Amino acid sequence: MTALAPTRVGALARGPRPRLKPTTAFAFIGLLAAVALVLLPIASIVFTAFKPTGEVNAFPPTLLPEQWTFANVERITTELPFARLILNSVIFAGGVTAFALVFDSLAAYALARIDFRGRTVLLIVIIASLMIPFQATLIPVYQVVADLGWVNTYAGLIAPRAADAFGIFFLRQFFLALPRDIDNAARIDGASEFRIFRSIVIPNAIPALMTLGIFTFVNNWNDLLWPLVFTTQREMGTLTSGLTLLTGPGGIIPYGVMMAGSLIAILPLLVAFLIVQRTFIESIATTGVKG
Amino acid sequence: MTSLTGSRPTYRPPAPLGGRPRRRSAQDKRDRTALLFLAPALIVLGVFVAWPMVSALRLSFTDASGFGVENWVGFDNYARIFADADILSALFNTVWYLVLFTPPAVAVALGLALAVNNPRLPFRSFFRTAFFVPFIVSLAVSAFAWGYLLDPNVGLLNYWLSSIGIRIGNPLQDPNLAMPVVALVAVWKSFGFYFVIFLAGLQDVPASLYEAARVDGAGPWARFRNVTLPMLSNTLAFVMIFAMIAALQAFDQIYVMTGGGPFGSTQTIVMEIYESGFRRLELGFASALSYVLLAATLLLSIVQFVFFGRRERDLT
Amino acid sequence: MTRNRTVTTVAAVAAASALMLAGCSADGTESSDGPIELTFWHGYTEADGDVLEQIVADFNAENPDIVISTEINPWAVIDDTLLPALSAGTGPDIVAMPAERLPVYADRGAFASLDEFYADPANNAGAVNPGAVDMITVNGTAYGVPTGFVPLAVYFNKALFEAAGITEAPTTWDDWVSVSEQLTIDENGDGTPEQYGVILPDHATVANGLWPSLFYGNGGEIVEGGDTAVIDSPENAETLEFWRDAIVESAISPTGVDGIEADSIFSSGRAAMTIGGPWMVFIAADNGIDYGIAPIPAGPVDQAASAIGVSMAITQQEDPARQAAAEKFFAYFLNDDNAVAWSLGSGWPPLRTDIAADSVADNATVAALTSMAEFGRPLLPGVVNSVDVLTAVDNLTQQVMAGGDIDALLAEAQAEIEAALAG
Repeated sequence: MTALAPTRVGALARGPRPRLKPTTAFAFIGLLAAVALVLLPIASIVFTAFKPTGEVNAFPPTLLPEQWTFANVERITTELPFARLILNSVIFAGGVTAFALVFDSLAAYALARIDFRGRTVLLIVIIASLMIPFQATLIPVYQVVADLGWVNTYAGLIAPRAADAFGIFFLRQFFLALPRDIDNAARIDGASEFRIFRSIVIPNAIPALMTLGIFTFVNNWNDLLWPLVFTTQREMGTLTSGLTLLTGPGGIIPYGVMMAGSLIAILPLLVAFLIVQRTFIESIATTGVKG
Repeated sequence: MTSLTGSRPTYRPPAPLGGRPRRRSAQDKRDRTALLFLAPALIVLGVFVAWPMVSALRLSFTDASGFGVENWVGFDNYARIFADADILSALFNTVWYLVLFTPPAVAVALGLALAVNNPRLPFRSFFRTAFFVPFIVSLAVSAFAWGYLLDPNVGLLNYWLSSIGIRIGNPLQDPNLAMPVVALVAVWKSFGFYFVIFLAGLQDVPASLYEAARVDGAGPWARFRNVTLPMLSNTLAFVMIFAMIAALQAFDQIYVMTGGGPFGSTQTIVMEIYESGFRRLELGFASALSYVLLAATLLLSIVQFVFFGRRERDLT
Repeated sequence: MTRNRTVTTVAAVAAASALMLAGCSADGTESSDGPIELTFWHGYTEADGDVLEQIVADFNAENPDIVISTEINPWAVIDDTLLPALSAGTGPDIVAMPAERLPVYADRGAFASLDEFYADPANNAGAVNPGAVDMITVNGTAYGVPTGFVPLAVYFNKALFEAAGITEAPTTWDDWVSVSEQLTIDENGDGTPEQYGVILPDHATVANGLWPSLFYGNGGEIVEGGDTAVIDSPENAETLEFWRDAIVESAISPTGVDGIEADSIFSSGRAAMTIGGPWMVFIAADNGIDYGIAPIPAGPVDQAASAIGVSMAITQQEDPARQAAAEKFFAYFLNDDNAVAWSLGSGWPPLRTDIAADSVADNATVAALTSMAEFGRPLLPGVVNSVDVLTAVDNLTQQVMAGGDIDALLAEAQAEIEAALAG
């Protein structure tokens, strides 16, 4: 087995499909069970959101509500400046994603494809910066944002995350693996690095950019402490941070209301994901992202 | 090592003619171009990551609370860390969490990716999508949903398990079960992302290798060990390192589900950092602790680089 | 495309983004001649919040030279956001917080001294409940004005009491245990009651006050004088022994729950009694439970209940005029009209002991809680590192209820609390 030459052969070279084997059937059943287990908490969020309080705390518990109610959802939509929070979430998560994709891919291109001095050191520093927990730098970051006068503004929310080390490293790994024949040819034709970046590398990096984009958008949409600390005014908060306002007397959030809030926070992401998932997953599953 | 610090041939413009001075100016030109590409990201990272990290490093040598007067205390904070029994127990808990989270998350993601990658499997795209869905749920919400499912009084999963004879009581109040449960929540939330990365990595494994292995009479395990694993080693190293960094910074679901209890059995280093900084207002101590965590993470990463680097060399 | 184009394009991207970011920020600067603008953070999110907002609005109307604007967030969020805000000098001028969180901020120099405010009789501060004042006093200096001080109490489900034929709330520990036994129902005999007599959480109890209350009942304490750990005492050992027998052996209460789970069990009607604060009224109403309120029963030595305190403080101000403006608001908050309005609106007893009891008689809850105000004891007054002390108490009670050795655990808690107090 040692002498396998890793020659690359395209997907077309795969052999003819053999018949469905029993092992595949077992795998199929096993995967179905895995999906059921994986989706159980999500089903629980969805159905609990529509349960009346009595049923939420009933024993024995059931997955489905016996009586459907919109009371939990209504409470959220009436108690929170709902539309504004969603708008803020979209601006925050979308803004961060847009900036980060541009800045990260530019930086990743240099790290992957330009042989400049200090490259290895810079790369190590960038990776090392991921290893400090953000709770540790939160206060110094806040001080910078406050010095800029950006507390309670979109700029203050977005700017500190407009580039991030994970994204740079992730894209660099992908750019490294892209074949170089075309860009070398383009260079000989006199194309600038920026042109190669824009016209050759980026179009070939769509799956990686989508992966990173989804990753960044989801993480920022879901972030709690960041928008909480950087926006003290209710109308500047995000949907995720706004849900903390539902905390009732004695610090209690009823399960039903919390689940409804969670559902509302997840729903836009879920819909957006289902819309792009075909392109996203298919592009990944056919071209790959070299991690 | 190669995959992570990059030794693939990169473009060097052909030096037209002449000796050293010309080559140096070509290098200067590349440096300038690179700087332009790097500038936007470096400005952001410099102002909002590097500078705060330097501030935190400075704070770690003071008794700062974040406001008011601060005094230089030298290495006192660091000395305190290594003398504090609570910190040592948090360190132990963090390592325990790392073991409970990283290998299972990576194994589940890899296993499912291999299963779903089978071209004869029906409904592949359904599975690809379904396994990614938990990733879009925040850790705090995941924690809340799992907490509800496992609640000893009203939890559905707890009830189902007890009806088939498995009594877990109140797992979040059981010092032996609490940590596995908070790790489980993180595995559930995170594996989807790693799964997609593995799925992508698997597309780069040439089918010819499998065919050759089959011809050699290799069984599924031998094919996995000798073809898939070596070909995935880059991806695996990437996923392992980021799963490890995530594990060492575990916070959200612990904060929501157990607050570090019962009896401190889920108190991790980042929980300690948070409590020192935000509850006891000992920002200097919290900063010192953060730098100890950074050093430990760096060390573990280097070990991993070396380990995976060797595997890669063994192959070729 | 030439290299120069590359330069300009990349630079343009960077510049454009900087501009866009800068454009997003709009920051009003305060003019020096206008009214003094103060920011006030608080966590009153229910009906109590409306009353407080009204008091602030009235104050603003009466004082055209001062404008107080409020920012409302849950208490836990205030605790998370206050430190970064203070560190950058963008914090509020007035902030309300749970009273046991005040000493640590005060000790680090976040708040202005209010000693002079308390010395001025016109402010009515001298009439504030001394227990409440203890909670805002750190190293002999007053740093806050209490906005709430109420002893924990027993909230009971009247329907469950009636069903068991019980007409009176228990008044002594023995009484409490025997009534709880009557109210505990295990119909199928599986050892897990379907209905509990009472819920006594073993950690993260309501306002961290359940176990301190029980310790007081037998003459025990946790910290004395703000600096001496006294938890390892024979009295406290007896208390733990007594309640472990009742909770674990007699199963009158579920084990391993925390204060928030306690509220949800009580509100689902599966427990007859719980320990709570005035907000139980809202929770009971939400869940359609007809409730009664009684003092925590007397222990063998004393009748006492740990109090829940909330207080507001003024952050350090460079400008004495701002400090004076904030103090003016505090005095307004404590005046005769507002002291009564705030009590009735928040459902908490009046903070001033010189308010006649009949002025709050209209609100049955307030009246009931006011009558037990004498039992209220401040929680860990003047203790800067209350976080670690409370964690030590939680670890103690949780491990005792799980069957640990009481004497050894008390010694351990004593050592931890001593370390926390030494700081």
